[in-house]
Amino acid sequence: MTVTETKPRIEVAGVQKRFGTVEALSDVSLTLNEGEVLGLVGDNGAGKSTLIKTLVGIHQPDAGEIRFDGEAVTIDGPKHARTLGVGTVYQDLALVDELSVAENLFLGRKPVRKLGGVLPVIDERTMAERAERILRERLDIELDPDTPVEYLSGGERQAIAIGRALVTDPDIVLLDEPTSALSKAAVERVEQLVQQLKASGHSVIIIDHNLEEVRSMTDRITVLFQGRTVDTLETAAVSRDDIVSMMVSGKPLGGPANNGADGQSSATQHSTSD
Amino acid sequence: MTNQSPILAPLRTLRDSNRTKLVLFTLDNLIWPILLVAFLFFSALLPEIFTQYRNIRFLLYTSAGLGAITLAESICLISGNFDLSVGSVAGFSAMAGALFLTEWAPGAPGVIGILVLLCVGGAIGLLNGVLIAKMGVNPFLQTLSTLIIFEGGILVLSSQSVYGLPVSYLWPGEAVISIPVINPIPVAIFIMCGLFVGLWFVLSRTRFGRAVYAVGGNEASAAEAGIDTDRVIIAVYVISGVLAATGGLLLTGFNGGATPTTGTSQLFPAFTAAVIGGISLFGGRGNVINTLGGVLLLGTISAGLVMLNIDPTVIQTVNGIVLLAAILLYTVVHQYRERLLSDL
Ligand SMILES: Nc1ncnc2c1ncn2[C@@H]1O[C@H](COP(=O)(O)OP(=O)(O)OP(=O)(O)O)[C@@H](O)[C@H]1O
Ligand SMILES: [Mg+2]
Repeated sequence: MTVTETKPRIEVAGVQKRFGTVEALSDVSLTLNEGEVLGLVGDNGAGKSTLIKTLVGIHQPDAGEIRFDGEAVTIDGPKHARTLGVGTVYQDLALVDELSVAENLFLGRKPVRKLGGVLPVIDERTMAERAERILRERLDIELDPDTPVEYLSGGERQAIAIGRALVTDPDIVLLDEPTSALSKAAVERVEQLVQQLKASGHSVIIIDHNLEEVRSMTDRITVLFQGRTVDTLETAAVSRDDIVSMMVSGKPLGGPANNGADGQSSATQHSTSD
Repeated sequence: MTNQSPILAPLRTLRDSNRTKLVLFTLDNLIWPILLVAFLFFSALLPEIFTQYRNIRFLLYTSAGLGAITLAESICLISGNFDLSVGSVAGFSAMAGALFLTEWAPGAPGVIGILVLLCVGGAIGLLNGVLIAKMGVNPFLQTLSTLIIFEGGILVLSSQSVYGLPVSYLWPGEAVISIPVINPIPVAIFIMCGLFVGLWFVLSRTRFGRAVYAVGGNEASAAEAGIDTDRVIIAVYVISGVLAATGGLLLTGFNGGATPTTGTSQLFPAFTAAVIGGISLFGGRGNVINTLGGVLLLGTISAGLVMLNIDPTVIQTVNGIVLLAAILLYTVVHQYRERLLSDL
């Protein structure tokens, strides 16, 4: 069951997900191997975020199978995904504006201590210390852990969402457009972070509309088109134009003739919008 | 000028941000200065009488039942939900407990009656919570229907007040204990304060409490972060039901018996007190301790009007005006807050 050398951590096989009449995922298959960074690209509405949410159990697939370490699993929800070692940055960041930086970092998993030996209360001090440390060490930003998130800039919010994904020391990290609100310098820090994660044996799926970023960060790239997998290729063996043409035509390279002219014009659109 | 500003700039931002924090703190706790002003206003109109210890004690005592029901409303609002049924739950569970002791199981100890009352309140809360969280029923419509069902249910149980209840059933709302320095003082005041501090503690210091704020702030985010939002919402409604029932118990003791109307009439004051106490109707914001200020403000106004010999029928109108003023005030405060934040 294990392929030589590469050990699959997550396998998605023929997954379908439908919302009413919208078929968000019609046939998605991909594999995330141990210690690899897999890029997931596709046009707006291709189903990338839906796939991520299905992997963490926010959505249940209507058909198909998800395997963790070779075993088919039904994932109940984000908490279950967390116990399987998955940390997630959602595209919408999933922050609660009213709560502080520290509370958002530990949303749903706050450290507790026993007051008077019996009453479990939130350990504010530990939480604030750990929050500050994670932000400083992992993302190189200094933030007062007591600041409500609503006071923060878009980039700071994104950093907090990334920090939160790492709080539980996951060994699989899912990043849904983690850099969309970040400055160039901050993007570089995220790129470094991804390299660090990879170097320490983590497996990462990253969604990003900036193809240069994808190409510099990933080992392999999976292209999604209207809810189906077009192809998965080694990053080193594929050019930017190849990716774009797969994204817009929905056909694998060397497949049936793809409409070159059409592909080019969309490609220009893409690079300007990013 | 150029060699000064780089040094002073950080200092200035620090001072500004401290001032901003102070302003925000004041805005978040606006109810207490308002209460003080109202109290001083009536004290000036009613010199000597209004500031008497006896009057203040009575004011606190009359606030006890409403206080518990206000907490029941507040926890729902903080979780981003609504509860229109708090008043009728208070009345219905108090009546059920009273009938249990007088007709269904006469001679049973009053404590059992209190347990029955709390269970009835909790069960109605559970019904609300399960239908809202699991079936996706709109909270407004769900609790509107429980409001109607149990308001009618009280009359089905008994259209008349039930008296002759065991002392222990009335004790929480009726008993007066002697304490040195503060003299005889109703137990209900301590119970009310205990409930406020207890719920504040749960909401601010425990995982569950913070999850209530998270769900109220952004339910989808809370779910994505791994909080079981359904369970939180169901728990919120159960707690709300139990608190409303406790309010019913305190009112029963205050009145010396279970009456068909006292609970039901508490919905609007409870809602008003929660809103003027700064609980956000959009969820995720507000401190329950401040709703005590809201309860006391309503109490101060109605006590003041009564003592000024103003027709008691205008009290509801005055309460409505207070609510309207509070809503306007918080709308302005909200806009001001946004401006402050965007300046940061
Ligand atoms: N909860 C939902 N209910 C109904 N439709 C949904 C839901 N979530 C996603 N969809 C639909 O599924 C399709 C895929 O959406 P998805 O968010 O996965 O796209 P995406 O690839 O992440 O796009 P983007 O690059 O814009 O983030 C879209 O047509 C979207 O409208
Ligand atoms: Mg998306």
